[in-house]
Amino acid sequence: MSRFYYYLILINMVANIIASVPAILLHFHNDGAVISMLLSIAAGVLLVTIYTKFFLKYPGKTLPELLEKTTSKWFYQPFVFLLAVLWFVAGLITLITFTFLLIRYLSPEMPIILICLTLILAVIFGCILKTDRVMYTVEMIMIITSPLILFIFFKAYSSKSLNWDFVREAALYINQVPNWHSFSACFFLFLGAANLFIFNRFFTDKQKFGFRQIMFIVLISIGTLFTTYFIPIGFNGFEGINDLVYPWISTTDSIRMEYFIIERVLFMFLLFYLGIAFLSILIHWHAAMEFLKFTFKLEKIKYKDKNIGIFIPLPIFVAISLYFVTVLTEYQLFRYSSYFYDVLVFIFPGMILLFTYINRRMKNEESSPEN
Amino acid sequence: MSSEENIKWINEQFKDTNELTMKTLEDDDKKAELFYIKPLINVELLQQIIIKPFFEMQSETKFIRYLKALPQFQDSKSQEQLKTEVLNGNVVLFIQNKFYLLDLKFSFNDQTNAASVETTIHGSQLALSDNIATNINIIRSDYHQPTLYVEYATIGQVNNHKMAIIYDKEKVNKNALKLITEKLQQVDKQVITSTVQLSNYINNKKLSLFPQLIMTERPDRIVYNLAGGKVIILVDGNPQALIAPVYFFDFMTSMEDNYHSFYISFFLKFLRYTGLFISLLLPGLYIGITSFAPEVFRTELALTIAGSRIGVPFSSFVEVLFMLFFMEMLLEASIRLPKSISATATTVGGLILGTAVTEASLASDIMVIIVSAVAISTFVIPINEMAFSIRVIRFIFILAATLLGLAGLTLALYAMIMYLVSIDSFGEPYLKFNEKKTSKTKAGEEI
Repeated sequence: MSRFYYYLILINMVANIIASVPAILLHFHNDGAVISMLLSIAAGVLLVTIYTKFFLKYPGKTLPELLEKTTSKWFYQPFVFLLAVLWFVAGLITLITFTFLLIRYLSPEMPIILICLTLILAVIFGCILKTDRVMYTVEMIMIITSPLILFIFFKAYSSKSLNWDFVREAALYINQVPNWHSFSACFFLFLGAANLFIFNRFFTDKQKFGFRQIMFIVLISIGTLFTTYFIPIGFNGFEGINDLVYPWISTTDSIRMEYFIIERVLFMFLLFYLGIAFLSILIHWHAAMEFLKFTFKLEKIKYKDKNIGIFIPLPIFVAISLYFVTVLTEYQLFRYSSYFYDVLVFIFPGMILLFTYINRRMKNEESSPEN
Repeated sequence: MSSEENIKWINEQFKDTNELTMKTLEDDDKKAELFYIKPLINVELLQQIIIKPFFEMQSETKFIRYLKALPQFQDSKSQEQLKTEVLNGNVVLFIQNKFYLLDLKFSFNDQTNAASVETTIHGSQLALSDNIATNINIIRSDYHQPTLYVEYATIGQVNNHKMAIIYDKEKVNKNALKLITEKLQQVDKQVITSTVQLSNYINNKKLSLFPQLIMTERPDRIVYNLAGGKVIILVDGNPQALIAPVYFFDFMTSMEDNYHSFYISFFLKFLRYTGLFISLLLPGLYIGITSFAPEVFRTELALTIAGSRIGVPFSSFVEVLFMLFFMEMLLEASIRLPKSISATATTVGGLILGTAVTEASLASDIMVIIVSAVAISTFVIPINEMAFSIRVIRFIFILAATLLGLAGLTLALYAMIMYLVSIDSFGEPYLKFNEKKTSKTKAGEEI
């Protein structure tokens, strides 16, 4: 597979380490979180494989394009709009989580609206970029930020404060009945592959997706989930871990770099993770924008020969985000995002049915091209 | 037309100049009329290959045959062409009511310069000359490929400058070439005297922060880019060539990178990119850390910085702007001043001002270090135009850090990267990694 494909999968996984996923997981730490993680890896990889194989069949085609060909309009338009909403909300969750993080740890005296607005302003014009440009941005920022993030993970694993006994204790809770919320939160990590709905436009070449690629994804996901769940436990202990609001932030704040000019790893982690969050929001909102373009045919709205249609959703995005960032509390954010993940567990496997339908219709179309 | 009419016509064309020389050669039954502009032509050559043979030849027909065999002989299609060719340093000969053109141009601007803007330690020290023919000669003698293609054109409606578009017909990025020629045709400025000026007119956007063409004086860079499928634009009378399309990374490569062994050029590249980030981010970081989040640094360092800022009456933002502003002034002054005075300016500005500012506690010692570090790292960027852009963008970063702290600075960096990725240079994405693969596929496509 092209390296850009892995960026899509990886960013969705890594971005959520810092967001609400670990909080949800750790909330159920003695209530079946471990087994849910294992189950979600199996289910998630299966989903990624099916999704990828499906889109490999139609190189360069986006899902709305395929739907437009095969389904009728009453289904196509509301459905694509629903997808736009889902993707927007996914980006919104990352945005709000990061705004809360920044105000809590980096600049507590700044108004929350201003912080949120900074994040939005940095991202928003990326939403109307071309898809290939979004991919290049992703690559550039990944290359700048990932070495430091990997270094911080290395510091975390090699730190003396990491107590492996806690990790072993947590792993012992494997024999419980899996928990629905933790399963859906983990499952969300795998939905990066769903970005192919739009980003498949970029993958025009014939790609190979076999056993090796699948194993690679399995390894990445095990690594991410293990780090997400067990490292905070190793640092903070097994008891009372569910009281931490941001387990990963507390964890990175326990790491020190003794000989460097920046002693507390937390700040580096925050600023570089901001890059990952930036990309995550960018990818989600770009996809949301594209879905909206397909639903409302935004390119056709013109004023004095200038294409203003694509700018219409941007103020709406900003307004909704600003509204929610002022209204929500951290507790509500976690609860609602947990519900959102629960809903996704039903929607995304359900899409597979749609894929089989599209496959059948496309076959018919190929055999009788005049229709 | 009889010869009298011809003479009348040509005199009519040049009635507003007093420099046209007319000479009549007469010998027995041979007669020829010569017209030329004296300062433009090589008088010795004229004497040797035209006047002397004229008197030695037996007949006019033989002399005409001899003229046609000369390498300086130019085919002329119309009378209209005469005028421009005479202005280009041609001699017109009228024999038996027909005219013949001979290129005897004599120019003093064909000496090559030594590289002065993009200097290297290793490699050729040769730069381009002012003369377009000499420049093409230099390029051709460095790039031996039959596919090298040179298109001539004139630009500037008043001064009618000669211009050449050079590319390797096999390797060139056809899409970009098409865009460039289209842009060149749209340029309708009256006077164009330099490539740099031209580059502003064929730029994709009027308001672009980043240069979208590279200006270079080094033939080796030109050859290197020709082989990479790029288009070179030369303007007569200019020792600089334009290269398009460009990628951001092109601005960060010095030709010397190719002349060193791997580890050394890797080290140099590392220095250069570190310099880029320092010159962009350091002032912003200083503001963000001192004013917003002093706990980021380890305690000792935070205390040192705070200690050095004791007595400074401004917030860090004013301090940074104040010092950077004087640094920019100093830079401008030292570029514009004559060489003999510029050394004084830097001494007064750099040494005396720097010391005095800290002693008067208008800026902290650390600030002086930061400003010098920023100034030095800006010079590490090998292509000047990019260094200028970076100097401007630095102020945007300072603004972001002032308003929004460290998070603002970081986000500004990410947004800048996104902006860089989003712009193109003649149809090619400005910032991306796999440039070779795509340009190859693009070059193979049919337009």
